[in-house]
Amino acid sequence: MLLFRSEETVNRWCEERDVPRRPLVSLERLWKLALAWYENRLTVESRRPAPEEMVRIFAGIGLEGSFWDPKSDEWTSSSQKSQR
Amino acid sequence: MLDLDTAVKQTIYGVIAETTKAPTSAEIARALNRTVEEVEAAFQRLCQKRLLVLKPESRSAILMAPPFSGTETPFLVRVGEKSYYANCVWDALGVAAALHRDADVISSDAQTGEPMSLRVRDGAPLPEACVIHFAVPAAKWWDDIIHT
Repeated sequence: MLLFRSEETVNRWCEERDVPRRPLVSLERLWKLALAWYENRLTVESRRPAPEEMVRIFAGIGLEGSFWDPKSDEWTSSSQKSQR
Repeated sequence: MLDLDTAVKQTIYGVIAETTKAPTSAEIARALNRTVEEVEAAFQRLCQKRLLVLKPESRSAILMAPPFSGTETPFLVRVGEKSYYANCVWDALGVAAALHRDADVISSDAQTGEPMSLRVRDGAPLPEACVIHFAVPAAKWWDDIIHT
């Protein structure tokens, strides 16, 4: 995931590399993801969220659909091309 | 008493938080009074749990202990007098979240190279004109985590 000043520079980045534009996330939402993943990372009990937990975390901040599902089988090479 | 994998994980994070540098398997072995082989076996198990990524072709050198990077990246995170590297912009904020500290993320626009900084103060980022593009779907993140 990459940082951009604006949607316009994201579009240019995608066009120059001929890659599909995918979801944009705000700084506020990314902070919530950072907390969910890493707030307790230095503690003994810490672990990476399990796939079903990831789906709940994403949905909790409005990120839903197959793009945010770590178990989705939709994203094969051929289907990525078809979604451009 | 901690099991070996947890002790290794805690030592990795403790060393990085303190020194900003990722320790080698030999350094952790000395710290825990274990053999290098035991520590490197623990490294492999932590990799399987996706808590650690080793440098290519290495069993001893840490590339990522998310959110921290074991090598220089375009995502520098200043916390007090210390400077850490993160693996991506998500992880850059993750450094502040993990350390529970104010932080300045020093980075740039991925297209234009314009310098950008994100400031975390009192448990939240200050408003900044920016967007984050997720180019890779969640199901593919670990197909090539270095690219992701």
